[in-house]
Amino acid sequence: MDNNIDFKDLWAKQTISPFNTNDLFSKLNRLKRTSLRKLIIANVLLIATCVFIMFIWYYYQPKLITTKIGIVVCILAMVIYLFAYNQFFPLLKTIDYKQSNIEYLQDLISIKTKQHFLQSTMLRLYFIMLSSGLCLYLYEYSLMMPTFWAILSYTVTLAWIGYNWFYIRPKIIKKQQIKIDDLISKFENVKRQLQDE
Amino acid sequence: MTFEDIYKTYWQKIFRLCMGFMNDKDLAQDLAQETFIIVWQQLPKFRNEASIGTWIFRIASNICLRQIENEKRIIRVDLPMNLMEEKQSIFEPQIQYLYKCIAKLPETDRIIISLELEGIKQVEIASIVGLSEVNIRVRIYRIKEKLTQKFKLYGQQY
Repeated sequence: MDNNIDFKDLWAKQTISPFNTNDLFSKLNRLKRTSLRKLIIANVLLIATCVFIMFIWYYYQPKLITTKIGIVVCILAMVIYLFAYNQFFPLLKTIDYKQSNIEYLQDLISIKTKQHFLQSTMLRLYFIMLSSGLCLYLYEYSLMMPTFWAILSYTVTLAWIGYNWFYIRPKIIKKQQIKIDDLISKFENVKRQLQDE
Repeated sequence: MTFEDIYKTYWQKIFRLCMGFMNDKDLAQDLAQETFIIVWQQLPKFRNEASIGTWIFRIASNICLRQIENEKRIIRVDLPMNLMEEKQSIFEPQIQYLYKCIAKLPETDRIIISLELEGIKQVEIASIVGLSEVNIRVRIYRIKEKLTQKFKLYGQQY
């Protein structure tokens, strides 16, 4: 083979898949729909739960302040979680593809670091608030029960909370963190390629 | 320039850039399409601050880099055997070898050499990647040297 290889010529000889505008636009619509659907499902579910709790407050008219505080804490937990979740989506959308590669990689890394924080801290806050809200809420109704049932309902509730806190939560966080940590290190590796000189 | 014009002018160039990055036709097509989706969304905001070419290549190369996120998905993609064979027969061995060598380079080198082979000026490559022009020139020189060496070995083998 010749020593002076014309890479440009070889490069340009590559066969190209023909372009297809219809294919492109159907893909565009599909993308829009799926990301919107995810956002709507999360919001609708949590808002519906809040409405349900408000309905209980209105319908049963709790007497004790603990019940009311419990309800407010539960709702707050969901609102805060929703807020954090909704904030994350625009973050991904506003990432500027028009930046240079090096700036873009930096952006990706900082978004992933934010996601890291949001997922672990927000999930922890959410669980703590929801659990304490639930315990406070239960107090008024357990007073009306015979002692045995009151103890039983608290035991079951606490066991459920414990299961979520000690089993479900770490599992979710671990799964998410492994994925994100891996991504951050990959992006950092690529960025380092541009900085090593 | 309308979107249709841009699509017609840049489709091949963007496809080759993605192909240099992925060395897989289907994935390259996916990435190229994704690029044009972003171009279509952003076109109303384009204000000639950069040349349209630089603008599009920046989007495309960033999408390629973003692809690292989906690497696991890529590995899982199973292609039917007959399709693979058909694909290989279309390519001339040398072209195939060039793309294979490029796909083995570090991610950013793949982008730099693909842009260079596409005939983009080194000033523009510097602005796409975010490095100085001198730095780009040095890198291109080194990458070409590597490729030449690999091709020499290849020439001895076949």
